[in-house]
Amino acid sequence: MTGAPNEPIIGAEHVSKWYGQVIGLNDVVLKVQPGITGLLGPNGAGKSTLMKLVTGQLKPSKGVLTVLGEPIWQNAPIYARIGFCPEQDAFYERMTGLEWVTALVSLNGLGETASRDMAVRALETVGLSDVSGKRIAAYSKGMRQRVKLAQAIAHDPELLILDEPLSGMDPLVRRKMIRLIKDWGRAGKSVLVSSHILHEIESMTPNIVLINQGRILAEGNVHQIRDLIDEHPHTVYVKADETRELARRFLADDHVLSLRFEEGAVVVQTGRPDVFYAQLTELAASGELGVIHEVTSPDDNLQAVFQYLVKS
Amino acid sequence: MSARPTLFSSALRVFDFSLGQMLWSRRSVFLGLLVGAPIVLAVVVRIFAIAGWLPIVNGSQVGGPALFGVLMWLLFVRFVVPVLGVFYGTSLIADEVDDKTITYLFTRPVPRASVLLGKYFAYLACVVLLILPSIIIIFFLVVPVGGSIGQAFPQLAADLGMVAVGVAAYGAVFAFVGAWLKRPLIVGLVFAFGWEQTVLLIPGYLKRLTVAYYLQALVPHAMPQDSALSMLLGMFQDLPPVWVSLACLAAIIVAALWLGGRAVENREYVLEQ
Repeated sequence: MTGAPNEPIIGAEHVSKWYGQVIGLNDVVLKVQPGITGLLGPNGAGKSTLMKLVTGQLKPSKGVLTVLGEPIWQNAPIYARIGFCPEQDAFYERMTGLEWVTALVSLNGLGETASRDMAVRALETVGLSDVSGKRIAAYSKGMRQRVKLAQAIAHDPELLILDEPLSGMDPLVRRKMIRLIKDWGRAGKSVLVSSHILHEIESMTPNIVLINQGRILAEGNVHQIRDLIDEHPHTVYVKADETRELARRFLADDHVLSLRFEEGAVVVQTGRPDVFYAQLTELAASGELGVIHEVTSPDDNLQAVFQYLVKS
Repeated sequence: MSARPTLFSSALRVFDFSLGQMLWSRRSVFLGLLVGAPIVLAVVVRIFAIAGWLPIVNGSQVGGPALFGVLMWLLFVRFVVPVLGVFYGTSLIADEVDDKTITYLFTRPVPRASVLLGKYFAYLACVVLLILPSIIIIFFLVVPVGGSIGQAFPQLAADLGMVAVGVAAYGAVFAFVGAWLKRPLIVGLVFAFGWEQTVLLIPGYLKRLTVAYYLQALVPHAMPQDSALSMLLGMFQDLPPVWVSLACLAAIIVAALWLGGRAVENREYVLEQ
């Protein structure tokens, strides 16, 4: 089973990965402790490269990478202890969900009946029992994500590695899957989950690893990172009926740093996004300044936050 | 939890679910056309025979068994079998990489080589099950034209064996090429239709580096001697004994699969995002 207590489930000692002249990962030193850990970074940050290294699909160009205390590259037996849900939307489309999960679980050396039983249980866990006999080609995006998760958890692994597992899921299913991942952690197992959406990771775990431009930027408790992020001026786009009235109200607040008008919308920069969102929700609920149609934040794009963190 | 899967048991599991994938793939349409076309040709031969329009070589009409031999050697062994080998063999791993499904197989506790081996077995089953019935149909259509089915039957059995061995040998060679190279199709086609075809015409030892050389020794068909080229071919025809051919073909299959397995074990597959 897992090694000594406090032994990291994933250890990277000066790991680098090059694709020809391009650096995918640069001198990464990392110790991921048991429990749930979120790997957070904008698109192209090196998350996928790290995930591929951690799952033994790629070999480090330099350095040593261990998973569950053993090197992962060319170490097939260790996969009996790992479940991996990849990012790509790729399947054997003609197979049914049950056939596919059963086939993959059977590769763990289990008999047909045992594999089928495990597949049935896993599909039930992800809420796909009713469509398990349908071809994967007929599944919605959310179902496809869930069937990928089912094949990862079916053999009850010690370590679950999930690459952007929530993308394409509707809010209700997303909530269920988050609960499932948290339950997995509570059961004493470990999960490494990657995402480019901060609140997704935050809802699963306080332990995060920030990665950007192939380097580990920070690791630790998400709240400390959140504080850093919250200090960063936050831009919010508010589409509403009464943009001038809204702007007048916003200007009265100290935390609003600037604002400008766009067609049918007001774009606000605030130093206290938490306070701003709370006020906006109250205004929307009261309806005193007309209907607020849309609230988006380009700064939720992690790229902006990372640029800010790198600069600070 | 369970016994550690061995190379062979893992290969059988991969075979299990790859066979269905292979049979229902777009390649099967291509395979159907490839093995169906000779049947159409055989029907045409039969119609011509009924109409009395069979070819005459050296003053005598070519019989059904000889025509069957020509179809077997020139069409199946020299064309259909290598084409199938190239298109299926090179794609065993490449298709999984292109479809981005290789991740699911390579993150299971099975040796990577077993994925290649399992898919190779699936290729063998798929191709042999489709190609052999086609040959049997052609046999029954062509051989009765001036020949006896009873007398030619042992020949059919030998031909079926030869084709099965050919499918296995070409498949293994191209499975290795597919596992080893990033763009294996061009190399496969050059090998099958450049190297193999050319070297067989050159006197000397080079022809021993082809699969066809050992295959033609298994079932030497009497070709109609109607051209200078066939006379020339006859002069250079030094066929190894059957047991040597079988041993060499077995060695080619084992070596190619071993090298292919090594290539799959050591190679990093970077999937396009």
